[in-house]
Amino acid sequence: MSHGDRTEIERRARELFDDSVERLDGETRSRLNRARQAALAEVEQARRSRWPAWLPVAAAASVAMLAVVLWRLPGGSPDPSARGDDVAPAPEVVELLGTDADLVSEDPEFYAWLSARGLPQANGSG
Amino acid sequence: MASSASLDFAAVYRLADAEPSMPEDTTLQATATLDRFLAGVERRAFRIAQMAVRDRDEALDIVQGAMIRLARNYGGRPSSEWTPLFYRILYNGIRDWQRHSSVRRRIFGIPSRDAGDIDGQRDDPLERVADGAPDPSRQVMASEAIEHLEAALAQLPARQQEAFALRCLEGLDVAGTAVAMGCSEGSVKTHYFRALHALRERLGEVW
Repeated sequence: MSHGDRTEIERRARELFDDSVERLDGETRSRLNRARQAALAEVEQARRSRWPAWLPVAAAASVAMLAVVLWRLPGGSPDPSARGDDVAPAPEVVELLGTDADLVSEDPEFYAWLSARGLPQANGSG
Repeated sequence: MASSASLDFAAVYRLADAEPSMPEDTTLQATATLDRFLAGVERRAFRIAQMAVRDRDEALDIVQGAMIRLARNYGGRPSSEWTPLFYRILYNGIRDWQRHSSVRRRIFGIPSRDAGDIDGQRDDPLERVADGAPDPSRQVMASEAIEHLEAALAQLPARQQEAFALRCLEGLDVAGTAVAMGCSEGSVKTHYFRALHALRERLGEVW
């Protein structure tokens, strides 16, 4: 925008703004100067102590790879099939415990009938 | 700005949103160049920030933050690109401050500052006259006039304030203002035209 194209309000606003910049008090100027020096010093310090840009990426990749290796190692993480969620207990365990599950599998009709009648009362009336 | 006329502002615009880069071969000479640039722009940037946030300490913090970000992220760019980048960063800081300030007001019920209330207290224009000023009465009039301008600017939408401050007060051209505002040149013209129109209506009687 050339000065000739300016309207009166633009010219006046610019003039007042420039004037206010020139009249900034000493304390503000000093603080701006200190802020600039602090900014430059911080950048300089960061530049000197800067780690290679690839370091965080390499570190993350290493951690991920280590996790995969540990997961795959024998004894690292239990095999899902060994958790027993959907696998029948070993026969010797069933024998030792004598679980109800084993009885049901032996005579399912009896237990269906018993279930339909309801459980016997504790006082023996049922 | 004559020196910015030959810039590829589209490239600068992309850079402002890109990942920061810092060349490894930054030298003391480059630091000195950056120091000169910041020294040349800091007072005007401070006044623009102060007009936007109406708080001296906050404005100083915003300007310092903009200096750090420019130096850290774009110090390695050609110095001819720094002006629009710096003002883009500065206005990002101003907008962040305004958002946080708005949230604080909503949560804590702190009233917003009056348009003519700078730094939280209404001060006497005579106190702003510099020591040894040649014509105190003229300076008082100038202080009152700029207060009217700041009050009128504060009533404009944020984008119009930005367009007016960058185009008229800082003197950026349309392309540089578009980079600083992160919008198209057409939008800059629209915001600026509306700002001028509104200011003319509001200041016509007092100026």
